[in-house]
Amino acid sequence: MPAISETHSLGISVEIGKIEKELKKLWEQSEGAMTRASLVNLAVYSEALDSLEKNTQLIAKIAENHTCRAIVIEADCNAKDNRVEAWISAHCHISRTGSKQICSEQISFLLEGLCANLLPSIVFSHLDSDLPFYLWWQGEFHEPMDPQLWAWVDRVIYDSQTWEDFQAQMRLVESAQQEAKQRIVLCDLNWTRLDKVRFALAQFFDHPASHHRFAKIDKARIDFAPGFRSTAVLFAGWLAAQLNWRAEKARSEHKLRFIDPAGRNIDIELRERAGEPISQIMLNSREVEFLVAHAQCGDLLEVSRRKSGEKRMPQLMPAAKNDPVSLMSEELMRGGPHHVYLRAVNCVRDVL
Amino acid sequence: MNRAAAQSETNPLREGLSTRTVAQPCTIVIFGATGDLTNRKLIPALYNLAADGDLPPAVTIVGFARREKSDDGFRSELETVTRKFSRQPVRDEIWKTFAQSIFYHQSEFGDESGYKKLASRLDKIDKEYGTRGNRLFYLAASPDQFEPILKHLKAASLNETCKGSWARVIVEKPFGTDLASARELNRIVRNSFTEEQTYRIDHFLGKETAQNILVLRFANAIFAPLWNTHYIDQVQITAAETLGVETRAGFYERTGALRDMVQNHLLQLLCLVAMEPPTDLSADSIRDEKVKVVRSLRRLSRSEVAANVVRGQYTEGAIHGDPVIGYRQEQNVKPDSQTETFVALRLYIDNWRWADVPIYMRVGKRLPKSATEISIHFKKAPAVLFNKDLSDPNVLVIRIQPDEGISLRIHAKVPGTSFRIEPVKMDFHYGTSFGKASPEAYERLLLDAMSGDATLFARRDEVEEAWAFVDVIEEAWAAKKDSPDLFFYPAGSWGPEEADDLLARDGRAWRRL
Repeated sequence: MPAISETHSLGISVEIGKIEKELKKLWEQSEGAMTRASLVNLAVYSEALDSLEKNTQLIAKIAENHTCRAIVIEADCNAKDNRVEAWISAHCHISRTGSKQICSEQISFLLEGLCANLLPSIVFSHLDSDLPFYLWWQGEFHEPMDPQLWAWVDRVIYDSQTWEDFQAQMRLVESAQQEAKQRIVLCDLNWTRLDKVRFALAQFFDHPASHHRFAKIDKARIDFAPGFRSTAVLFAGWLAAQLNWRAEKARSEHKLRFIDPAGRNIDIELRERAGEPISQIMLNSREVEFLVAHAQCGDLLEVSRRKSGEKRMPQLMPAAKNDPVSLMSEELMRGGPHHVYLRAVNCVRDVL
Repeated sequence: MNRAAAQSETNPLREGLSTRTVAQPCTIVIFGATGDLTNRKLIPALYNLAADGDLPPAVTIVGFARREKSDDGFRSELETVTRKFSRQPVRDEIWKTFAQSIFYHQSEFGDESGYKKLASRLDKIDKEYGTRGNRLFYLAASPDQFEPILKHLKAASLNETCKGSWARVIVEKPFGTDLASARELNRIVRNSFTEEQTYRIDHFLGKETAQNILVLRFANAIFAPLWNTHYIDQVQITAAETLGVETRAGFYERTGALRDMVQNHLLQLLCLVAMEPPTDLSADSIRDEKVKVVRSLRRLSRSEVAANVVRGQYTEGAIHGDPVIGYRQEQNVKPDSQTETFVALRLYIDNWRWADVPIYMRVGKRLPKSATEISIHFKKAPAVLFNKDLSDPNVLVIRIQPDEGISLRIHAKVPGTSFRIEPVKMDFHYGTSFGKASPEAYERLLLDAMSGDATLFARRDEVEEAWAFVDVIEEAWAAKKDSPDLFFYPAGSWGPEEADDLLARDGRAWRRL
């Protein structure tokens, strides 16, 4: 069973028409020592050269916590000749109870030539029935967006941090969503990146006695790493959307202004600093300062609240990891329609 | 369960972040802070909540116990035990911050001045740490200490709070030893705390699979029409342990399997399986339906006990191939002990849904394997089509522990030219499908108590109704004239033969685990 034991290789090369048959053979060979498990169809699409190997490694890690049928696709749409190659493999790990090998299966495709025509048929014919279909689209979307494909997708996962033109890309994604009659959930890994810091900031306001502070917020500062301005802007958009602030025309690339329902100005400074994508957030509500910052050790957030005359009592909370496996695992754990994301995007669409 | 939603409405930044209950800032005061429960369960659970980011920054812990100890000494002891018992490895930097919120308060449980000092200390903590006057008192001491603790909490006005803050008490089991003592305990608790402030903890309800019973039943429409006397032949609940009494002989001699397991854990599981759909997911809606199940249990007369309940005690035998001694040879057990280490029951729920469906329960120590499972046995399909009596009807199994999951036995045709039918099992394992480990039951329950969600805690009437049912059996056993025999079984077997006979008389058999 070479394909099962070599979890990071593409596995066995197979004919397109015999994929299901070969998969069946693969499991028969394992003779009950392994359990195939799947909660979701996860298709990964990339146009980057040699992405098959890279994505196979990612899927091997992701499958440890999210069993799935993975369909990994590398497409070279500019190739002169049409060609399709396929491989099957499995990613296995010992279960939490330590008694069984749990395996997720992967089907890999190399598409050359007319990708747009091939993609839906490749994907549709290899979905595990009755399971949701998540499509992780790496890189940029292109026109035309194939309505046939999008009609089948339950969640489309992308990372807007890598987009050159946010507005154009978002228009394409939203048109796909419209094609699918709003059924597709848009999952932006750039938004997932913000989960832990949003959680850390939100917990300051859990007690009703702290809610009056919302109306007194006058400024905020978000420190972001080079290349992650869009992450910081999205965070500002979240605050604005949830607190009913209206965006004013940006004063500069690094200074945003919002107006709250009472007509007060709230200035948000975006400061570029080396380090984590979002390394620190400071929110000022008159005499109280709320701080969320990455701790020295890296994978923890230090959260604290300071008021003049009060002792600052820092607390540690888990921080997000900015690698694709962690971001995807976090995203796959979540459900829901991501309405809050869409509202945040709408608040800052013009400055993203 | 609906509080998280309510909280998210009031804190707009919470929207979409999580659906779990949000813990509120508070000080947790643990009475019996140097005991086993604190060391093995409570502190590791609180540490894990902190490490997962589920504990708000303004949560502090005050250990209340008799022994002389400093804050630092207490923290250091807790660090050692947490490193030993935590489900995830302890990280130095998280422990350091977590430990800063732990304090030790030395006092006798019966010393009034100790509570006054506690009150001042809690006020000081509120000011310094922002715990907002919220207090969660955890009674992890022995039950005979509950009365002085509660009395003194009231005398020091610690059961009362200012507007906008709260005081709650968590009471550990056993909730009494019979109906009279349960009522007395409830009276003592009620003297100091209202029912809304009281959280009776049964850790079985904090287990993921126990909570999943509600989801399985009420989120899957396929089961709803089948979940009644028309389609269900019988229900079996088994709680088997390979362990003997270990260090609990003193307690066990006074308690026995019926009081230790059936009155609380098993009846709670039965309630979840048998209850009607609640009107919503609020604590009282769910508990209203649960208590109706206990109220509907057919009460046994003393003379009926022998025919419906089998009690057993293990003798020497072998577990996993290793020889083990009998119960009467265990340390601190009387050589002629009449305490049951095994009990099997047949009971009925006299309501419309469950009329005439027997519920078989068995619980025992030194059984061949450790497993807690509920099985729903459906009625047989008529034997008119396949020329075969389908002797293995459909069974839906809910595995509570270990290897949590759900399986369904169905019939399938064996491939071939003949029409051979065999049972096959469709199996769902939590551990296989979901990579993430479930939190410990105490983590979930502590978080719920901190957020004011009492859904997974037992209410006064549930506890008292359960004792009323169990007391009849205990009384029949105690009355010498009608006292049924104590049957013996070798360690490593599935209990005495009489337990098998209990089902055999009905033409049924225990499920093979």
